[in-house]
Amino acid sequence: MSDSWAVDVQDVSKNFGDVNALDGVTLRVRQGEIYGLLGPNGSGKTTLIRMFVGLVEPNAGTVTVLGQRMPNVAMLSHVGYMTQAAALYPGLSVEENVQFFAAINGAEGGVRAALEFVKLYDRRDSVVSTLSGGMRQRLSLACALVHKPQVLLLDEPTVGVDPQLRVELWDGFKEMADAGTTIIVSSHVMDEAERCQRLGLILFGKLLTEGSPSEIRARAGRPTLEEAFLSLSQSRA
Amino acid sequence: MSGKRVAAITKRLLQQFRRDRRTLALLFVAPIVILGLLGYLIRGSASAPAVGIVNEDQGPLGATVAAALARSSEISTTTIQASDGDSKLKDGSLAAYIVFPPDFSSQAQAGTIAPDVHLEGSQPGTIAPVLQALQEALLAVAAQAPGSSLHVLPHVTYLYGGPGFDTLDYFGAAFIGLVVFFLVFVVTIVSFLNERSQGTLERLMASPLRRGEIVLGYMLGFTVLAVIQSVEVLVFALAVLKVHNSGNVALIFGIEALMAVAAVNLGIFLSMFARTEFQAVQFIPLVIVPQFLLSGILFSVSTEPKPLQVLSNVLPLTYAVNGLRDVMVKGADLSSGSLQLDVGVVAGFIVVLVVAASTTLRRRIA
Repeated sequence: MSDSWAVDVQDVSKNFGDVNALDGVTLRVRQGEIYGLLGPNGSGKTTLIRMFVGLVEPNAGTVTVLGQRMPNVAMLSHVGYMTQAAALYPGLSVEENVQFFAAINGAEGGVRAALEFVKLYDRRDSVVSTLSGGMRQRLSLACALVHKPQVLLLDEPTVGVDPQLRVELWDGFKEMADAGTTIIVSSHVMDEAERCQRLGLILFGKLLTEGSPSEIRARAGRPTLEEAFLSLSQSRA
Repeated sequence: MSGKRVAAITKRLLQQFRRDRRTLALLFVAPIVILGLLGYLIRGSASAPAVGIVNEDQGPLGATVAAALARSSEISTTTIQASDGDSKLKDGSLAAYIVFPPDFSSQAQAGTIAPDVHLEGSQPGTIAPVLQALQEALLAVAAQAPGSSLHVLPHVTYLYGGPGFDTLDYFGAAFIGLVVFFLVFVVTIVSFLNERSQGTLERLMASPLRRGEIVLGYMLGFTVLAVIQSVEVLVFALAVLKVHNSGNVALIFGIEALMAVAAVNLGIFLSMFARTEFQAVQFIPLVIVPQFLLSGILFSVSTEPKPLQVLSNVLPLTYAVNGLRDVMVKGADLSSGSLQLDVGVVAGFIVVLVVAASTTLRRRIA
């Protein structure tokens, strides 16, 4: 049955020293789903995403990705991970960065498609240190998806990206999801959250509520997701 | 100019250091460690060069000079057989031996004495004390002799090197390796640290790359640079500076390349213990300087105080320096047991570092 779940998190807890980063989180993400993790800074979103790639091991509970218990290095060629800060090699060109991440993930080709997806193909020869913040963010995204992963993890992917391009990127995510890619995205941006099929609200390391954007609005009895989010956060705080 | 604004900068600086214990330790501990080590090396190196005395003189003069030499504080003498002299120089148990020929006393009657001085020659620090002690002993004897118009013409031979050897010839051999070791170490530690601080290491760890693959990839990449640098340094030293070389150039290059690989791995390993470039640079005085002082490059290991000799003998740089000197000054090749040990120790050190770097890598990322 776990086959249909791309990511399966069962009762996961993690503490760093005496800080409880995650406290008994259980959630599942279907294959081809766009799942949004919402929560304020320091709520545990990034820790959860890092668990999906085995960078953090839970103190309790299990994380299963594509049917494999994490951490599992062999699994990682099917996972794409875009870190919160654009992690790139500033001395390499745009194209060289993407080529490198393709190579370490064992992918052949796909560099041009990835660069076209983030609208950076024309800038492929530019050295990264000359790019703007938004361009780096897009390049970081290209590096995360160049090997056509089955699960794409995006930690605040569109910070610094202008609204026009954000819309285009989300259209791209939708296309990828329709083709079967599972996308898990953490965000503060509510119009992004609106585009997710399901949302998980995380607060103080706990999964507060889960559901489609309309379900969450209805549960909180508020007209917008932002108000719903604030009211649900306050009711538990 | 506002005093308050200046004070704000000063205060901020001191606040930062208050939380950076490592830098504070470096500022206040490292000078004591380095100066203490240097002082101990220089003051504690009491062991004078070992000199063998061969007295074949049929007259009384040889014994008189030998007794004067034995009283000298600059050398420590032992009586040996002439036939053992060269082998004792080669195995390092003697820095020199002095032969008073059978006609030594009759030479003195004739007005010119010519003792044979055989110097090992590869340790610059040992030559001057030997010649000086001999000079003083002969002068003391001559002063007692009646009708003192005694000429002293010691006949000096060198096992290695020669009178034409200058300081660069002695130090050049070791410095060739040291320059490469030091620069490669700094470049590696800083770029591996960049990988961590720019966040790309986290990406690498979230990819199918294995730890060993990262360490080996780094090692090969920097080895390419280090090899080019080694060639450059070697060509410059031999062709432009004309540093003396009695050995095989390919062998020198081989040892240099080994040192470079060791430096790469030392850099990767130590970068695990630094969070910023600033902290990484702090490893230089703590890791490189003591190794440099103890490597025998300036002070021969055999004249170091005993506790420091123990330390020198476990540090890999000592073996690398010794290996380069064996080849360039003594003309040793791979059939030499001493060189085999040197190369073996450096190679073993590399293996230990690769394993250590690979195992520390994951622990330090999370």
